[in-house]
Amino acid sequence: MERRLMKGNEAIGEAAIAAGCRYFFGYPITPQNELPEYMARRLPEVGGVYLQAESEVSAINMVYGAAGAGARVMTSSSSPGISLKQEGLSYIAGAELPCVVVNMVRGGPGLGGIQPAQSDYFQATKGGGHGDYHLLVLAPASVQELVNLVREAFDLADKYRNPVMILGDGVLGQMMEPVTIADPVPVASLPAKPWATTGAQDRPANLINSLYIDPLELSAHNAKLIAKYERMAREELRFERYCADDAEILLVAYGITARICRTVVDLGRQAGLKLGLFRPISLFPFPYAPLADLIAEVGVNKVICVEMSAGQLVEDVRLAVEGRVPTVLYGYPGGVVPLPAEILSRIKGEGGANGVRRS
Amino acid sequence: MATLKELAQRPDRFTGGHRACAGCAAPIAVRQVMAALDPEIPVVTANATGCLEVTTTIYPFTAWKGSYIHCAFGNAAATLSGVESAYQSLKRQGKIPDRPIKFVAFGGDGGTYDIGFQSLSGAMERGHDLVYICYDNGAYANTGIQRSSATPRGASTTTSPAGKVIAGKPQPRKDLTAIMAAHNIPYVAQASVSHYMDLFRKVEKAFAVEGPAFINIMAPCRLTWGTPPEETVDIAREAVESCFWPLYEVVDGVWKLTYKPRQKTSFIDWMKRQARFRHLFKPEPKTEILEELQAEVDKRWEQLLARVETEK
Repeated sequence: MERRLMKGNEAIGEAAIAAGCRYFFGYPITPQNELPEYMARRLPEVGGVYLQAESEVSAINMVYGAAGAGARVMTSSSSPGISLKQEGLSYIAGAELPCVVVNMVRGGPGLGGIQPAQSDYFQATKGGGHGDYHLLVLAPASVQELVNLVREAFDLADKYRNPVMILGDGVLGQMMEPVTIADPVPVASLPAKPWATTGAQDRPANLINSLYIDPLELSAHNAKLIAKYERMAREELRFERYCADDAEILLVAYGITARICRTVVDLGRQAGLKLGLFRPISLFPFPYAPLADLIAEVGVNKVICVEMSAGQLVEDVRLAVEGRVPTVLYGYPGGVVPLPAEILSRIKGEGGANGVRRS
Repeated sequence: MATLKELAQRPDRFTGGHRACAGCAAPIAVRQVMAALDPEIPVVTANATGCLEVTTTIYPFTAWKGSYIHCAFGNAAATLSGVESAYQSLKRQGKIPDRPIKFVAFGGDGGTYDIGFQSLSGAMERGHDLVYICYDNGAYANTGIQRSSATPRGASTTTSPAGKVIAGKPQPRKDLTAIMAAHNIPYVAQASVSHYMDLFRKVEKAFAVEGPAFINIMAPCRLTWGTPPEETVDIAREAVESCFWPLYEVVDGVWKLTYKPRQKTSFIDWMKRQARFRHLFKPEPKTEILEELQAEVDKRWEQLLARVETEK
């Protein structure tokens, strides 16, 4: 497909349609409204269905229903709305159904604000709802990567029969960049889903369920889920290294913050600082070993975790670093997007502090 | 009952300086509601997330003079249930003086018809002594005009866009006022910002009853409807005159019209004034759909008349 200028939220919609998604269940919340609006316009044109639910709770349960029927299905929201979806996500993960959920994160807690943030990291990567489960979480840093990861997300959801979350933020959803969307997948060519409840006339009935009253049965079910997450940790690690091969100070950041940190690395290098960047793309599974290996490999003497939250990503970074080198947090919660110069001056020891808004 | 002159002299509980759009009916509705209450009686306001909350409480400013609690989108009735329960309990225990305090919740149609419907229904059924006010502008205006279950059939919104094939929202709107009446609560009414004395009277009654009361107020959004800001009150009036939005009340289960248009006006003409229905008129009028929509309004109006008649 030709290269064109698209807004992040709308590009997600087109990428999902190209990936064969024909079912979208939405609900309004800023800053992701352009996505359901795009789907409301586009899906009827390609024989799909857009439905607006009466709440996020209903939207995610519509996803549950459509996924059980074997559809490529998607929903999206932003932080407060994603909180409302947690019960449904737990059921979907428990019942092992594939779907894609987009979270265009905004600042919280509570109603918070509508500016971009990364403060849903824990919720996204550590389960979020009740029970032992994980979403597979992917964090793009550009509109093009957003498009690519949406395509991949549907395949990963099917591969693992597990919900996949695209963790963006208000900037990614709202900004426009040139993108190329890969050619559409013919819906008929999508892999079969023999487990789906499609009518059991000529085969044994399929069962989609997350209820196991017998603790031993539930325990076995949990073991199966855990094995799946372990497989993700082996097969789905995604990350990027930038100027990391000789880095003395290593920045770790994901999503839009990583984009900002690339500039910090460039500026720092011009000033003679040996900066590098490690960018996790898969947040669950988190690339612990690749980060640990990098630190051991190149003689990093300090790790700086930069995030638009008050110290969430840094916990996983510290699990990877295991105390080998000092790890510090540059946290910017509440919808504040840090400037490259601001981060750089902190690296140089010229001031700046966590949670402090620049003037 | 206060006269218009007396009402006009009451100090505002809801003040100017808020950031609602020019021509927005929500603050008009709120001002009228808040003025209808005896100035000596304090009122606690709960406000669901939405245009009203966003435009009137930009921190550190507020347009609300009394106690005010903001909550999530779908929870105004639940939050106010908690406030009212705590008040009743503290009063019973003698921890606060025994004097009347009123409780009012405001929500838009998205926060009332859709996501807040469950908590509203629960609050009404439990019988809390509170008044719930819905300002109905027929869409999720705060997030960029998405359809709600209050959006009339045929209206174009960002998630029910009119195109070559689909003529706006395919489903008729939910009749929430009737649903609230089915809760068998002491007072339910439908009102409009255009008929202010009718609205005042209804709010006075709603606050006077013991137990839950619900009022649904027609409050046009000029951005959603695509009307000039100076026509807000007039287009609300025509919603009433065309019988799309009848003014009535249900007191202890008895239905009563509070206003009957002398000459019922055309619903099609009403739609014609609004950009959200433009696709039904241009390039050429979609007569079949327009007549269907008119017939639907006529049918509901006749049903209401019949109901009111039998309960006389």
